[in-house]
Amino acid sequence: MQTEQEKQLAELIIEALNLEDISAEEIQPDAPLFGEGLGLDSIDALELALAITQKYAIQLKANDQGMKQAFGTLRSLNAYIRENSS
Amino acid sequence: MKNQLSFPLTNRKPGEIIAFDSRGARRVDQFLGEAVNLSKQLPARRYAINLFTDRYQYLLGFTAAIIAGQCTLMPPNRLKATLELLGEMFPDSYTLGDNTLADCEISRNVSRSGPPGEFPPDIPEISAEQLCAIAFTSGSTGTPTPNHKYWGTLRTGTLGNSELLFGELPRRLNMLATVPPQHMWGLETSILAPLFANTAISHLAPFYPQDIADALESLPDPRALISSPVHLDVLLRSGVRLGKLDWIFSATAPLSEDLARKLEAQYYTHVLELFGCTESGILASRQTATESLWRQSASFEFIPGREGILIRGAHLPGEVILPDVIELVGDHRFRWLGRHQDMINIAGKRGSLAELNHRLAAIPGVVDGIIFFPGNNPDRLAALVVAPKLKPAGILEALRSQIEPVFLPRPVYLVSGLPRQETGKLSRKAVLELFEKTSTMHKSGKRL
Repeated sequence: MQTEQEKQLAELIIEALNLEDISAEEIQPDAPLFGEGLGLDSIDALELALAITQKYAIQLKANDQGMKQAFGTLRSLNAYIRENSS
Repeated sequence: MKNQLSFPLTNRKPGEIIAFDSRGARRVDQFLGEAVNLSKQLPARRYAINLFTDRYQYLLGFTAAIIAGQCTLMPPNRLKATLELLGEMFPDSYTLGDNTLADCEISRNVSRSGPPGEFPPDIPEISAEQLCAIAFTSGSTGTPTPNHKYWGTLRTGTLGNSELLFGELPRRLNMLATVPPQHMWGLETSILAPLFANTAISHLAPFYPQDIADALESLPDPRALISSPVHLDVLLRSGVRLGKLDWIFSATAPLSEDLARKLEAQYYTHVLELFGCTESGILASRQTATESLWRQSASFEFIPGREGILIRGAHLPGEVILPDVIELVGDHRFRWLGRHQDMINIAGKRGSLAELNHRLAAIPGVVDGIIFFPGNNPDRLAALVVAPKLKPAGILEALRSQIEPVFLPRPVYLVSGLPRQETGKLSRKAVLELFEKTSTMHKSGKRL
């Protein structure tokens, strides 16, 4: 089950990436966002990062080891945003 | 005694700086020592698949393979299936890469592998006829088509590129690339240019906007960013601030005049857009913010032929048919009209969808719009246009004076907006859905 925060993030992902075929509720919190799972690519990652920056006012960095893990699933991404937003 | 032509691996001087890695600046003599050292450790096979993401290590792997008489394969992506296919196509190959890549047969990290040879070696001479790289174009069928790159082609092409990209370089230009070195654009600018022009490349492969800003900050002045429209667009929209940046070089997809202008205004920089194809390398450049015509590289001849424009270059192994439609306007300038794939043929008349869309967008009062094939009838184009102050008849009138009647879109529907993605892309699916919806409304007498 998604938490309310995760649901909001799922909605942001769908809106930012124009994922017309699925609804926010269908993004499993623990399923991989990239690779299998939603099958997002690197351009999607850039678009998603931009949407996150605009909504949560944090700049993402790939160099940061936490970031690679953060983008793994909806749940980890949400946790990363909460930890890093002021 | 060799009687064939050869060229040195680099024309840079031993004390000059060629790259920056985690240890700091790397001089040409240090680089040569490491490249020669690595060349002796490579397996005795013909083809190397270089998967280094660290660009300095990619440079070392690429040049070490050349020194060892090997050829680097340049996969169009790093997907497992692609690499497996390459392995099948080239059984005498091996993979070389960062030690984070579990699949690599040869995993090493040069910066941690101890000091290179004590004496800087002589600069290796490479036969002009040595096959050094194979790049692949994907094509519509999905089967990669190989393009052979010989040392003479790469070296002479790079000297020509340097003129086009950098002109005179009284001071060393320090470059950062967001594009992978495995693509021709990335290879030509971030791997080959430092071997033949007064430039140095950062080892970093930044991805997110803040990474790009940080990586640029780590380089001395003057600086250049080698990138693509997708990355540049996201960078601009992120609002991330950059330090002093002298040049942005963009290729891989058309850069809009609007984006070029905004980049120049935001970063007080110059944006140079490069044009080329895998078969020929970089062919032309323009400062997109202020120029619509492209300047041809002096290394190539552009010859109008039956099948399109033929590209000839003394350093190319053969003629190349340009996959784009261009109009030569003289004085080594041309106008880009579209890709061959978007060429349309209606009732024996040939045109380009990109060109039609360009004409549509140029009509005063048109905010946005697209001309496309709605599907069922291959002989009929349609248009969805955002133009609050115009009527469909007025739009058709404006088009009629500029284009062949067979290309006039029918119907022209006015809409309040197009379903563009944030990248500016319009998916065919979204366009067709909007067209269908609008069409139904019109038929039932309603207005959207």
